[in-house]
Amino acid sequence: MSLLVDTMAASLDPAYAEAAKRRDAAPAAPAASRRPWAVVGVAAVAVGLVLAIGAVQTHDRAPDAARTRARLVDAVQARTHTTETLQQQLDRLRTQTSNDRARLLATSGAGAALDDEVNSLEAAAGTVPLHGDGLRVRLDDAPAADNSNPLGGTDPRAGTGDAVSRVLDRDLQQVVNALWAAGARGIAINGERLTAQTAIRSAGSAILVAYRPLSPPYDITAVGDPVGLETRFGTSATADRFRAYHDLYGLRFTYVRVRGVTLPAASALSLRYAAPVSGSQP
Amino acid sequence: MIILLALAVGIGVGLYVEPTVPLGLQPYLPIAVVAALDALFGAVRAQLEGIFDDKVFVVSFIANVLVAALIVFLGDQIGVGGQLSTGVVVVFGIRIFSNAAAIRRHLFRA
Repeated sequence: MSLLVDTMAASLDPAYAEAAKRRDAAPAAPAASRRPWAVVGVAAVAVGLVLAIGAVQTHDRAPDAARTRARLVDAVQARTHTTETLQQQLDRLRTQTSNDRARLLATSGAGAALDDEVNSLEAAAGTVPLHGDGLRVRLDDAPAADNSNPLGGTDPRAGTGDAVSRVLDRDLQQVVNALWAAGARGIAINGERLTAQTAIRSAGSAILVAYRPLSPPYDITAVGDPVGLETRFGTSATADRFRAYHDLYGLRFTYVRVRGVTLPAASALSLRYAAPVSGSQP
Repeated sequence: MIILLALAVGIGVGLYVEPTVPLGLQPYLPIAVVAALDALFGAVRAQLEGIFDDKVFVVSFIANVLVAALIVFLGDQIGVGGQLSTGVVVVFGIRIFSNAAAIRRHLFRA
């Protein structure tokens, strides 16, 4: 550790000692060494300047970074606010459009028939919320066996569960198809409205509906004639199969009639074939 | 006396003008600051020991800043700039501390 010892011992620049020795050896020098005060002054100014610049850099630039960050946060919030405003405007305009359409179409008999058709098509396409009675099917993974998951959690993404005791995307697809076949007018899974284009698929061990991950239990709500739905769904081959799954693997499967449920409108609906009519700005 | 005055002038100018350091020179700023502090404490100690020499003060300050910057520049070129910068700061820091201790001994006799 001689390096550190040297650094500690010879902390004063040895040049000072040598210069002093030289001066002692030649006592005639003092007059000459008094001369360059200007040089020393400049050097001292430089020292002070460097210290001040360092301090300024530290104290001015740090708030600079903080300011930049604050500005970015503000920008993000402003954009989010704009998006929300635009979304509200869009909702308002959609409502207005459908009101206008209903009013215009109601002026003629053929128009009224067309309006009814549009309304029923919208309900079927899932572009508007659907309210009514129906059936709720609940599917859930089998309870974890005592030794299968030491943490006892039901994290859908953990992937540690036994594959046969878990609800898969196929199961949800079969139940949904059985409900459509039983006469459902609209279906939502955990609040995600299904349309003709909604995909039910799995990514890893999570189930995505309309590209949003869901976690169990899965509530499949179908709006339709409750009694008819229950009868036809309860006697379907799918329901039979899930009862068997329940007996064999412990998969939880229940269904119950519900009254007065509202299915939300489907999210992110895009028009594929419709285009604005050219040359007819309102 | 002149040194203290010039130091105050330098600090004042630095604070008043608020010069911007070019981005390329910013890695060398900490080293320049530590070298400047080292020169300052060395000069004070030498003055107290009665061996202060203006030429040594000027040359040692400029040479220390340049050599330290050169070392860090070389380190930057071969990818160890940060570590070398730390090393330079450590060496100068130790010197500043021992000089400060010597100044304390001179001033308070303790």
